[in-house]
Amino acid sequence: MRALVIAGMLGGFSLLPGQTAKPTAAMLASGGSQFIQQCAFCHGRDAGGGEDGPDLTRSKLVAEDIGGDKVAPVIRNGRPEKGMPPFALPESEIAALVAFIHDRKTTAESQKGGRRGVDVADLQTGNAEAGKQYFTGAGRCATCHSPTGDLKGVATRLEGLKLEMQMLYPRDVKAKVTVTLPSGETLSGELAYQDEFTIGMRDSSKRYRSWPARQVKYTVDAPAEVHAALLAKYTDADIHNLMAYLQTLR
Amino acid sequence: MNSFHSFCLLAALTGSMLAQGVNPDLLLKPPADSWPGYHGDYSGQRHSRLTQITQQNVAQMGLAWAYQTGQIQQIKCSPLLVDGVLYITVPDNVYAVDARSGHQLWHYTYPPNKGFHIGSRGVSMYKEWLYFMTPDAHLICLNASDGTVRWNIVVADSQKGYWTTMSPLVVNNHVIVGVSGDFDNLSGFLKSIDPETGQTQWRWDSTPPVGTPGATSGGMTWMTGTYDPALHLIYWGTGNPTPVLTGTNRLGDDLYTCSIVALNPDTGKLAWSFQPSPHDTHDWDAVETPVLVDADFHGKPRKMLMQTSRNGYFFVLDRITGESLLTTTFGPTNWALGVDKRGRPIPNPEKEPAPDGRLIAPNEGGMTNYRSPSFDAKTGLFIVDAHPGYGIYFAKPADGTFGWAGADYDVWSKGVLDAIDYQTGKIRWTHELGANGSGAGVLTTDSGIIFTGDSTGNVLALRTSDGKTLWHAGAGGQMQSSPISYELDGRQYILTSAGGVLFAWALPVR
Repeated sequence: MRALVIAGMLGGFSLLPGQTAKPTAAMLASGGSQFIQQCAFCHGRDAGGGEDGPDLTRSKLVAEDIGGDKVAPVIRNGRPEKGMPPFALPESEIAALVAFIHDRKTTAESQKGGRRGVDVADLQTGNAEAGKQYFTGAGRCATCHSPTGDLKGVATRLEGLKLEMQMLYPRDVKAKVTVTLPSGETLSGELAYQDEFTIGMRDSSKRYRSWPARQVKYTVDAPAEVHAALLAKYTDADIHNLMAYLQTLR
Repeated sequence: MNSFHSFCLLAALTGSMLAQGVNPDLLLKPPADSWPGYHGDYSGQRHSRLTQITQQNVAQMGLAWAYQTGQIQQIKCSPLLVDGVLYITVPDNVYAVDARSGHQLWHYTYPPNKGFHIGSRGVSMYKEWLYFMTPDAHLICLNASDGTVRWNIVVADSQKGYWTTMSPLVVNNHVIVGVSGDFDNLSGFLKSIDPETGQTQWRWDSTPPVGTPGATSGGMTWMTGTYDPALHLIYWGTGNPTPVLTGTNRLGDDLYTCSIVALNPDTGKLAWSFQPSPHDTHDWDAVETPVLVDADFHGKPRKMLMQTSRNGYFFVLDRITGESLLTTTFGPTNWALGVDKRGRPIPNPEKEPAPDGRLIAPNEGGMTNYRSPSFDAKTGLFIVDAHPGYGIYFAKPADGTFGWAGADYDVWSKGVLDAIDYQTGKIRWTHELGANGSGAGVLTTDSGIIFTGDSTGNVLALRTSDGKTLWHAGAGGQMQSSPISYELDGRQYILTSAGGVLFAWALPVR
């Protein structure tokens, strides 16, 4: 609410999520030019998705953005974990980019039919009963998950492509690491960094610590990797059936 | 100074005074103090004969100098080195840098323009002139001594959706350029440009004219090809067909998209073609370096062409005829029913993008992409930055038949360096490079060392025979380019980049 009030004050009137102060034609032109040069290859010329970046006109982040409060930090800092580089642009150019993205979203939403992208309705071809069987049987999903436990109501929290992507590979699930120091002391925490030479973790007090990988013993528990191993085993029907089953968990 | 030293000095001075840019002969056998073309030499092997840095002393290697472009755009070029001067690029920018010290000699800036600023793979050189391609698909000829513009020509119409990123291939008096542009239904092409006048000498089109009923468009030519002077053929990879994810209005193989073509560099006439991905619907350009190797294949001497293709397959061809010698995968793939008699994967129609999604290996970025692989003749290993991964692909009638015409999403991938035995296609060793992949190119040297990078920004030196790590240094960002090596004043340098910074590594001066 506070952000809303501040944004409203800056813009001279109140803004709702997904809205932005009415930009000038010059601002949209400047944002559009910058978007073509720096963003369009990944996000598409119309911001509707490109080579490997998401459709920004259907993005949750853009929908929740108020005058750049969510989008601008992502432009500025990037999302290195998802392959998006940071863009050190002047504030005025970032504001113009944000205005352009919102303008594209408005345009896209006003278009009827013919839109690219994945709708919830597209992902309804599976058989829920077969999905349930796969869940408890061949897929061995029930080894880690429970429809009455962690997945209870999952279909009310996630839908459509977001649910399917989370099912295929939950990339936000953090790995845990247990490190044994040369002294014999053992520490556990969230895996914060790993390469061939360095292992880093955040302990229970969120303090970051790292060690040369060769000087300690460590084990990484990365539950998401079980999902990566499943990718080679799924048929497309398995995925569609699992989706049908997960969508019954309301 | 004794007379012997005077003689050496005179010889050195004469040598440097005689160095006059890039004459066609220099490209046939580049001296150790140069890297005069995108791949170094014409073979695309990205292999250095230099041996000063060895498996035993590489652990002592350190920074000789670093050069900062000061740009947010990442260095994705292969540096060019001629007469002691390095030429590097990012979109709209060319820099000349002293290869001994890393200090800047000049900086050329192209005017603001609306092309895609996604990368610049470097300049090429003919005599004293540099050739630079721009985001809005122009070719600029610059004076190598001061970066002033000699001429500026339009290669393709950027208003239609073309852009350019590639480093031209210079063969005799031909500057051969290709184009990008798969966001629209356009035909890819190669043009041979006169290095002196900028006039077009010939043009070769990847596909029939756009609008030909039932015919594909696409086949962009966005990576630098290779050249065999004895056969007098250039070898070039072409990109995906358009529309990208829908094949309903372009049934059949869609020639010459996702193809390797052999052309006469004087005329552009097609000698043969081979298609790594017939009827592609997954954006898997076959533009990865066509590496030329002369060696035994199953006991018989062969002139070969090898490619690790974006679609996950490793191909060995006879480059005289285009005949397939070996087709195999170098990571998980699930989109083909098998391999046909001509060595081409047979696409599975069930794995074309569909309204409810298809899980596909590799993902859209591919099992490998534009950064260079390397071939090491001593071990017979083809070393490639590989990305095992999965993506999910969607397409429905409402997506139409123009441009992307569908949607796809990366599910999971990681990076590994694969060492492929070219005789069998078997992977002899694999070195893990981290989550989501690294993207670094690969250089091998005659001392049995590989230089590349991992996904977290480490520069790596590995032993070619088994992939064991010999040295590393954190560079603060992923390497998005392919390393080169050269020797100046008796000192061997390894050049890598991260972000907008170029790093020169060498052994300590004693």
